[in-house]
This record gives sequence, structure tokens and C-alpha cells, in this order.
Amino acid sequence: MKTATTIYSAGDHQWLAVTRDPQRPDYLIDTNEYLVSHGEAAILCDPGGMEIFPAVFSAISEHVDPRNIQHIFASHQDPDIVSSLALWLEFNPRLKCYLSWLWASFVPHFGGDRETFIPIPDAGMKIPLGNASLEAVPAHFLHSSGNFHLYDAQARILFSGDVGAALLPPDEDDLIVKNFDTHIRHAEAFHRRWMGSDRAKRDWCERAAAMQIDMLCPQHGAIYQGEDVRRFIEWFHDLEVGQLRV
Amino acid sequence: MNDLSEGSRVLQSDAHPENDLQRIVLVNEQIKAVVATAFSINLMALNAIFLAKRAGQAALGFGVLSNELRTFSVDLADVMKALRDMTSDSVNVVSDQVRLARTLGILSRLKAAGVARGQQAVDAAFARHAARVERDEAALRERQRKLRQVLADARQRVELGGVLARSAKIEAAYGGGFAQPLMQVSSEFDRTIQAIRGSLDALAAI
Ligand SMILES: [Fe+2]
Ligand SMILES: [Fe+2]
Repeated sequence: MKTATTIYSAGDHQWLAVTRDPQRPDYLIDTNEYLVSHGEAAILCDPGGMEIFPAVFSAISEHVDPRNIQHIFASHQDPDIVSSLALWLEFNPRLKCYLSWLWASFVPHFGGDRETFIPIPDAGMKIPLGNASLEAVPAHFLHSSGNFHLYDAQARILFSGDVGAALLPPDEDDLIVKNFDTHIRHAEAFHRRWMGSDRAKRDWCERAAAMQIDMLCPQHGAIYQGEDVRRFIEWFHDLEVGQLRV
Repeated sequence: MNDLSEGSRVLQSDAHPENDLQRIVLVNEQIKAVVATAFSINLMALNAIFLAKRAGQAALGFGVLSNELRTFSVDLADVMKALRDMTSDSVNVVSDQVRLARTLGILSRLKAAGVARGQQAVDAAFARHAARVERDEAALRERQRKLRQVLADARQRVELGGVLARSAKIEAAYGGGFAQPLMQVSSEFDRTIQAIRGSLDALAAI
């Protein structure tokens, strides 16, 4: 089973990171899911693949009733992001999913119908969460051509999807990055290959550098905190991406 | 609770919808073979009817039998079409089953992992899926029963076709100057009917 850890809590505003699953078969990539809640309202970021649904659902249930999740935020269309959608809809048929307009007719192959999706325009949009507000920030071509990150100005947390992802060995799987230099070695090959556009990368780095981010939370690997956020943005800015071989 | 134990039974049963899907594909291929052969009898029968007309008085009986064989081939093609419609419908049911079986497996893992909140909802979702799997399995069993019935019907028709082909052989012997070509045609009838019989036996064995 996965572990759900509270990474931010202030009043009734919370971030829960659902990470690491010792029982996960090794042919499936490890993923992180994040639940942002404000009072009764809750949005689940990148709920994950169909196969890991039991682990995610069960871990979340330790903190909140998973049926009360009203929204899903899907950073992009990948199977490790949102192929569990049909199962989440089993437990809440009224669930809505924020997703790039680009994928709104692709992802229903995983589940959902005309009513399920709230298409996000290319420029991004505000996403209400109870009486708080989050923001879908454009991150197109990083790596998906219709791609968004989710920024929470109150918690100063950026959920960054595949940006910042690291494929960690089992003995280096801390939730928070401890040593940036050691950690980033496990992120390099991933970013060189999965991120295809140098221009999109530079645009994103400029945008991210201007934001106030205490924690950068990727969908794979560990969370960058404090100074490591700036370090990551600089490292990414200088990295040559779109490389077939490292 | 009854539903739940039913569900686990379904989960543990040796039902493999994937294998059902392969079976349906095999059945469809075999049906196509029979339909093609039935069509060739139709052409053969048409030729035989013309031949009998040319042979005139000497091949009256042969002409009647050729007509019968032609009707037989049309009937057989109809039966095979019905069979094919039934199997193509089964593809839907089996595809649904493959999907449901996967979901049921995932939900059963969730049940095993346990949840701190929402256990009732998990149990209900599992029971719902188990019931759907049960329903699909029953529907498939019913289809298979009907399929066997139609196959038996087809087999009976083919037996009748066999009798017609053999009678045509006997009639051919009385064909006077046309005896040899008539004999050739009726032997071909006989061989083709044998081939269909073989295909139907193969179908029943799938
Ligand atoms: Fe991805
Ligand atoms: Fe990913």
C-alpha cells in the first residue's frame, strides 16, 4: 500500500502526498499523487494508473473519505496520470476532471463522458477549491503537447507533473530531496529524453522563477523544497533536452 | 453478503474471457469457410441445372435434385449467417467481460488492502461488478446454448444435402450420353458436402 503524508497544513487548507508503494510490481513506473483540500472541497492531482488505484484509494482513505473528492486535475493524458479515471467515477459519478482541451476527447477512452471533463484553455485558468483558488499553469510540451501544472499560491506549492521527475533507486527514495546533487542524477536522463522542446523549457523556467514556490512536487520521484526549487529550475534551464541518447 | 461470495467465486472460477475471445475468432473463421463452400454449391447447382436441361429427358431426376441442392445451399448460408450474427454479438459480451474482470480484480485488491473510510462503498462497487460478471457469464452461456442448437440444425441440413448428393450420383448413371459429366458434377457435390460436414464438426469441437 502507498503512504499518504501531509506535506502542508494551515487551517483547513492541506496538501497530502500519496507516495511509494512497496507492493507495486516493478514493471509499473512509481508515481506520486497529491490531494489538495480546503475545508470540504478536495481535488486530486494526477490520480494515477488503473493498476495502482487500490493503493491510492486506500492510502487517501486514511485521511479523508475518497468519495468526497469532487475534482481531478490531470496534468496531461498519459496512462500513469489518469487511466484510473473510470474507477474514481465508480465511487463518485459526479466527479469532474480538469484537463487540457487538447486531450478532452482522448482521455474518455479511459473513462468519463461529455459531462466529466472541464477543458483547460492553452493559457491556463483559475481552479476554485472551496473558497480558495488554485491555478492551472501552462507547461505545454513538457513533455505533453497539452500540459498543465497546478499552482497553489496560498501553500506556495507547485504540482509540476513530469517536470522534476526522478527515477529513484529503492535505497534513495526519500519523500523530500535531501541532497540535490545526488538526486538530480536520477532526473537527468528522464528530462533529456521526455522533455522535447528547449524553447518550452526556457519559457517554463522563466515562469517558474517568477513564482513563489516553497515546494515543487513532481509526479515521479521526490519533492524539491526551499533552495532546491531554485536549484532545480536553474539546472533544468541549462539542461539540453530533446536528446535521444544521453 | 451473498453477492460478495458470488463475486469471489466468479473471480476464482477458471473463466478466462480472453480465451472466449479467441474461441469466437476461431468460430467466425470456420463459419466463413462454411459460407464460402455453401456459395460454391450454389454455383455448382446452377451449372448442374443447365447441364440437366441440356441432357433433357434423360436427366429429369438429376435436374430436380440439382434444384433441391441449390435450395439447400441457400438455406445453409442463411443458417451460417445467423450463426455469425450470434458470434459477432458475443464479441461485445466477451469484450465487456474482459474489462469487467480487470476492474473486479482491482476492486478485490482494494477490498483486501482495506480502507479506513468508505468500506461500504468499496463492498458495494465490488458486488455491483461481480453481479455484472455473473450476468455476462449467464448471457454467454445462453448464447452458447443457442449456438449449439443452430449448429445441430445446420448439421441436420447437411445430412439432407448428403442424401441429395448421393441420389444425384445414382440419377447421373441414367443420364445416357450425359452420364459422365453428370457423374462428375454429382461427385463434386458429394465431396463438397463432405467438406462442409468436416467444417461443421470442427466448429462443434471449438
Ligand atoms: Fe507523462
Ligand atoms: Fe508521468
